[in-house]
Amino acid sequence: MKKLIAALTAVAALALLAAPAAARAGEKFLGKVVKIEMAGPEAKVATATLQDEAGKTVAITVQDKLTLDKFADKRITIGDDIKCKYEVKDGKNVATFFKKPGGC
Amino acid sequence: MRTNLLLAASLLFASSAGAAEHEGKAYIAEHGYDGPRTCETCHEGTARKFLDTVHWKHASKVSNVEGVDPRQEWGMKNRIYTFCNGNDLVNNLKEIPANEKGKTKLIGCNSCHPGNHLSDVGSTGPEAEQAIDCLVCHSSKYDYSKRRPYKTANGQVAMGQDRSAEAAMAVGKPAVKNCMTCHEGAGGGPLVKRGFAFDAEHDAHAAKGMVCVDCHKAKDHRVPTGFDPNTWANDGVRLSCADCHPGKPHKDQAYDAHLGRIACQTCHVPGAGGAVAKDFTRWTKLETGFYEPSTIVRAPSEAMPVYAWFNGTVVNQPHFIGPKGSRTDPRSKIFPFKIYEGKAYYDRKSGQLLAMDFAPPTATGNTLAGVASAARTMGLKDVQPVPGWQTIYFANSHLVTRQKALTCDKCHVPSGGRLDFQALGYSKAEIEKRRLMSASLWFDRLLEKELKKDE
Ligand code: HEC
Ligand code: HEC
Ligand code: HEC
Ligand code: HEC
Ligand code: HEC
Ligand code: HEC
Ligand code: HEC
Repeated sequence: MKKLIAALTAVAALALLAAPAAARAGEKFLGKVVKIEMAGPEAKVATATLQDEAGKTVAITVQDKLTLDKFADKRITIGDDIKCKYEVKDGKNVATFFKKPGGC
Repeated sequence: MRTNLLLAASLLFASSAGAAEHEGKAYIAEHGYDGPRTCETCHEGTARKFLDTVHWKHASKVSNVEGVDPRQEWGMKNRIYTFCNGNDLVNNLKEIPANEKGKTKLIGCNSCHPGNHLSDVGSTGPEAEQAIDCLVCHSSKYDYSKRRPYKTANGQVAMGQDRSAEAAMAVGKPAVKNCMTCHEGAGGGPLVKRGFAFDAEHDAHAAKGMVCVDCHKAKDHRVPTGFDPNTWANDGVRLSCADCHPGKPHKDQAYDAHLGRIACQTCHVPGAGGAVAKDFTRWTKLETGFYEPSTIVRAPSEAMPVYAWFNGTVVNQPHFIGPKGSRTDPRSKIFPFKIYEGKAYYDRKSGQLLAMDFAPPTATGNTLAGVASAARTMGLKDVQPVPGWQTIYFANSHLVTRQKALTCDKCHVPSGGRLDFQALGYSKAEIEKRRLMSASLWFDRLLEKELKKDE
């Protein structure tokens, strides 16, 4: 139990260190979802293609569970506007932020 | 006490695992799903009763807020304040004018309603009963792409629902994501309003596998709530930490000794999140050609709460909505709040805050046109809009933590402590005499703990 707590604390500390770094680096993109590729509802990764007003497209790699879940039950789907931040890692555009803008 | 809680916990986990299959499944598989009337074959009267709840009416009688008529109903339906500046009435779901790129969309506050908009917030009667979207809260297989506003054949704006048999065959107790359909998106995007992420990383109860309705247990769809100064509508049922953690919840009695004057949340919700300020008078243009209210948002737990005495009643003034209470009032305790500041238009003559219809500014950025439209809806004449600020205190009810809970040395220190003792009504002399800002209150016990840690 003690070990578990220690491990959890370590993870939390890492998360703290990682978060600001991730937020600092990175590109921004605002566009419509034109394609979502995901290998089944339980997949650990998905690729979403966004297209902006000018017609430029970018393929974003999504790994966080909450967003994957939103793809699975179509809370985020083709045609939705998305505000996205990502960083380039090993040639992939990995999302650090992927959300619908606006609302009341 | 401890065993009680553990018992409660194991019961909870058993039920949230939801292993038991819904007894209506076979019936729905055979007969299909035709909306609430299908559910009513076995759950008779549910829909009618649902129409009388906050989730349908977005309003209720309110008895703890000053200056509002207790005979009338108040809520997101009709309130005017600077977090949502619009409400269901003035910012009704509709098609907005085209923006400069010729694009339009369907938006409005009452998109956060489990009806179909044709039967809208607060509607009654058999048609309203059949319009309820039971599955948005109860299905684990809901297809959210169907829950979008659309135009009907005769041009009315309606809200879509997933009424498939597949979704209806996956009925159960509401999961976190069902509730978050609306609660996550409130206030202009994910986690903007309250900024409470409900996951293992951010919340000790989520980490234990608990879901919203383990605490917000509802009977006849009356969902219990607390006393957030900014959540007025209620179903007449209240909820507090002490319901499940009565008496003395701590192993260390030094914490229990504080319970008379300090709320659980003060120590256990050390951070706040979501929007900290918005400007409704000047909207920000997006690349899509649409505009949105200018907003500054903090990640969950990233904003520092403020601490104030609170007895459950609410100050409600044009420039301030927040807690009432004082040190001398025995019903008051120190609570944490997220402070939010919003800039919007006030009427020069009456000094009252004005509401805004979001349709015009979303399309063109013209916020005064939004105020004029809302004034027309409300039948107000000759308003003279002038910008002004309103401060709002939001309750911090979630993001509970044990590991990061405030320890003695976060409050009883000479400077930089969480509490401003003087502002809270403790005189300099008293602070001195009771050593409220001194390590002498806790040095020995913390030393003992630290030494134990080092072993
Ligand atoms: C053929 C009868 C039947 C139909 C049709 C039916 N149910 Fe049920 N339902 C039951 C029974 C029996 C129970 C268990 C006893 C109880 O809680 O009333 C139950 C339980 C529930 C529960 C509690 C589940 C839990 O795990 O706590 C919910 C929620 C529910 N039903 C919702 C619905 C909804 C929504 C519909 C329509 C889509 C529906 N039911 C249709 C018979 C039915
Ligand atoms: C369809 C949108 C929607 C869904 C789904 C939803 N809510 Fe709400 N909820 C609202 C709105 C809007 C309000 C604010 C009403 C007001 O203040 O006028 C609200 C208010 C509340 C309140 C405070 C008022 C009250 O009734 O006590 C609580 C607590 C609450 N919701 C909990 C939940 C839980 C738990 C779930 C999941 C079972 C849930 N909500 C699902 C839209 C929703
Ligand atoms: C805003 C979310 C929401 C909507 C919409 C909703 N429910 Fe519920 N329902 C709940 C909550 C919350 C509970 C209580 C769960 C608990 O306490 O475990 C509940 C409980 C139930 C139960 C269990 C018995 C009871 O009454 O407590 C039944 C049956 C049920 N709902 C049926 C329905 C039907 C039928 C509809 C549509 C007419 C519907 N619900 C719409 C949130 C919702
Ligand atoms: C561990 C119990 C617990 C869980 C789990 C929980 N809540 Fe709460 N919630 C509370 C308490 C307690 C209050 C009232 C606190 C007070 O005012 O003293 C509250 C208040 C609220 C309010 C009123 C506004 C506010 O913030 O005070 C809403 C809305 C709400 N909860 C929604 C939710 C939703 C949605 C979920 C799931 C994502 C959820 N709650 C999960 C305990 C819980
Ligand atoms: C519906 C019942 C319920 C409500 C309401 C509730 N809790 Fe809990 N709480 C639990 C249960 C169950 C556990 C887990 C107990 C265990 O596993 O030891 C728990 C655990 C905790 C823990 C220990 C977490 C850990 O990591 O060990 C803290 C701290 C806590 N609750 C504080 C609060 C506070 C503060 C509130 C009010 C905002 C609250 N609780 C409201 C049921 C509740
Ligand atoms: C003055 C600050 C303070 C207040 C007020 C407070 N707590 Fe705590 N509580 C703590 C701290 C700090 C811990 C962590 C102790 C540890 O891990 O050594 C804790 C731990 C807990 C635990 C885990 C059991 C334990 O003793 O470690 C529970 C459950 C809990 N608190 C519930 C509550 C509830 C419920 C309330 C309100 C009735 C409350 N607390 C009020 C500071 C506080
Ligand atoms: C959230 C801030 C906070 C935390 C954390 C906290 N206290 Fe306090 N404490 C207070 C406040 C406020 C009072 C004064 C309450 C009152 O009005 O009587 C107080 C009063 C006291 C008193 C009474 C002093 C006197 O002589 O009258 C003692 C002793 C004390 N705290 C010790 C501790 C210890 C030991 C811890 C850690 C285990 C601790 N406190 C944690 C805020 C805190």
